[in-house]
Amino acid sequence: MIAARRKKFLADVFAKYMHYRMRKAFNKLEVVNKITPKPGYSVLLLCNHFGWWDGLWANYLAYWHLNRKSYIMMQEDHLQARMWLNHCGAFSISRSSREMIKSLQHAADILNDAENMVIVFPQGELISNHTTEIKVEKGIERLIKNIKGPCHIIYNCALVEYFESLKPSVYFHLLDLGVAGELSFDELTEKINTFHRQALKDQVNVAH
Amino acid sequence: MIYPKNNRLMKWMFDTYVKWLVGNTFHQFLFNTVELDSNKSVLLVANHFSFWDGLILYVLNDKLLHKKFHVMILEDTAKREGMLRYAGAFSVSKNSRDMLESLNYAAELLSEPGNLLLMFPQGKLYSNFVNRVHFEQGLLKIMKKAEGKFQLLFAATFIQYFKHKKPSVTVYLKTEGERYSDKNINELQNAYQQHYDAGKLQQTEIDIK
Repeated sequence: MIAARRKKFLADVFAKYMHYRMRKAFNKLEVVNKITPKPGYSVLLLCNHFGWWDGLWANYLAYWHLNRKSYIMMQEDHLQARMWLNHCGAFSISRSSREMIKSLQHAADILNDAENMVIVFPQGELISNHTTEIKVEKGIERLIKNIKGPCHIIYNCALVEYFESLKPSVYFHLLDLGVAGELSFDELTEKINTFHRQALKDQVNVAH
Repeated sequence: MIYPKNNRLMKWMFDTYVKWLVGNTFHQFLFNTVELDSNKSVLLVANHFSFWDGLILYVLNDKLLHKKFHVMILEDTAKREGMLRYAGAFSVSKNSRDMLESLNYAAELLSEPGNLLLMFPQGKLYSNFVNRVHFEQGLLKIMKKAEGKFQLLFAATFIQYFKHKKPSVTVYLKTEGERYSDKNINELQNAYQQHYDAGKLQQTEIDIK
């Protein structure tokens, strides 16, 4: 496992640069329903995973909406190809190995500090943006169990639209999943799926 | 009503720019091939979720269908984006007498075998995530007027990012042999809906490697 070696300066520069890149590439990034994380709580942000950009969007949310220091869980081979991200808060996970437990423990340790936020893609792989079902991997259950400090769990469903603009717009639908340990794993999965389907329906009526 | 303009230089400029723009913006442009009767014009019916889909289908025509491109657009858009007129765009304004003129013109276009008419029967922009594609009445009127002179082609367009920085576009095409002149708009809408759902399902179940 590659542990995160986050340097505040590098992470800040990276986030600001990517914010600039996003402003150029996208028409707008809109949070449909704003959620303020509970003060004194760390944040576990679960995101849907369908493209190249979504880790960067989640990082944007961490900086400009949720106000936490962002850490992100990445597939080991992907991180090895971009080791500089390690200094911006990325740490690795490799499926089907004993190292996985270490990675989950590492994520939980990060979340013990209320200033931090960990971005995780519970699907574990790229799935189409049109999917109506979010598969939550079992590892999330273990990760949540291992968190000792108070932690606020949020699910983020990002949907891409074009409408009148040639540049795409991203709409973030956020779901408050309460404090870690409050919901059982099955309840969590069910809530995420119900919310995701509702977000797909709400998206049709979004103002443009 | 605003008619298309003929100017070879402007047409060439539009053509070159749009092909470059679409090629440059998207990582991949995917579509399936269809068999067409070269003695009939084409009525291309498509979903409308962005400004892109007209441009995407313009390029698709260039790559696959090789017909003379025409598209019905809203009068406001035609006024704002004057350049589109050189690519065969003509206007329609809802709730006005002008509409009849636009529909007649559209039907006339279909009687020329070399033409292609692109219609967005939804009439305005809808989300890319709609489940039901709603059709306005005008399309059926055109089809009744031009009965037998054209072939109907359904297109369902989807844009997704996958693992690349640039999005990829997929157009699902299907020729529709059925005649709709004695049927109502709902039957036509349902036939398109089936095609749209099949395309959406493929997009949902796509294996991203």
